[in-house]
Amino acid sequence: MTLTPGIASDTKTRTLTDAARAPYLDKHDKELLDCLRAGEDACYEELVRRFGPQVLATAKRYLRSDADAADCFQDTFLAVFESVEKFEQRSTIGTWIRGVTVNQCLMRIRARGRRREECIEHLLPVFDENGARVHSFTSNQSSPVADSIDAALLKEIVRGEINKLPDSYRVILLLRDIDGYSTKESATILGISMNAAKTRLHRARSALKSLLESEMERLNYHADM
Amino acid sequence: MLTCKEFDDFMVDYLDQDLPVWQKFMCWLHVKMCRECADFVRDYQRTIALGQMAYDDPDEPVPSSVPEELINAALAHQKTK
Repeated sequence: MTLTPGIASDTKTRTLTDAARAPYLDKHDKELLDCLRAGEDACYEELVRRFGPQVLATAKRYLRSDADAADCFQDTFLAVFESVEKFEQRSTIGTWIRGVTVNQCLMRIRARGRRREECIEHLLPVFDENGARVHSFTSNQSSPVADSIDAALLKEIVRGEINKLPDSYRVILLLRDIDGYSTKESATILGISMNAAKTRLHRARSALKSLLESEMERLNYHADM
Repeated sequence: MLTCKEFDDFMVDYLDQDLPVWQKFMCWLHVKMCRECADFVRDYQRTIALGQMAYDDPDEPVPSSVPEELINAALAHQKTK
């Protein structure tokens, strides 16, 4: 697993000057990093308070459990504290910490063990023997109901449907579409080939599309009653 | 012309604009000619947008919502190092 952006795998690479290596760090980040490397307790507290919300939100997003997210929060900052010296400044501190958080989340998801994942075949597009698309929901995602739903409620519905996806599909969707990693980066993080990442991403998006359409259909039905 | 199934296989690369010109053209042509796939692409893109909207403030909730005990526990690790 290589998801620790900004951390040198070889400490011999840490020979450049800070100024040459730190185009991503603003003044505030540089001061914080210097202070952390000096071992000042107040700076560790500032780091946790400043990036804690990001870490906790990311952990909750990936792990779907407040208890797991709290444990991941601890593990993430422990990993960050231990890596401060090795942080190569090839990204902002925030981006680096987000990477460490995602890495910790994925380790936890893997540690849950290889449970048999729910099949999503019924949520995927269907084609006939000639390769023609034979079944697609008529979308209600942009129906009057969807358009009139309160934005906060719509967010909750979409998050709920994303959370229904099996972990392997949910994680690549979060990496690629939510956290903004490229397909190549997502493949590297997950240790799979680019083609496998593309296939998995497409299946995840298609399944989410079907889930959202079903949910909108259900809401439409209740709105019509 | 591509079949719907063949077009579907290219969907991720097509939307990422990551196809060679000829394949991109073949996909574009398929979408122009196939109502089902055009509808699918529209809803698929809307699905991606809805997913992003659902987390458009990925760092929420804001600082005050991180429980103090979590912050203190994280800092305790550092102090015991």
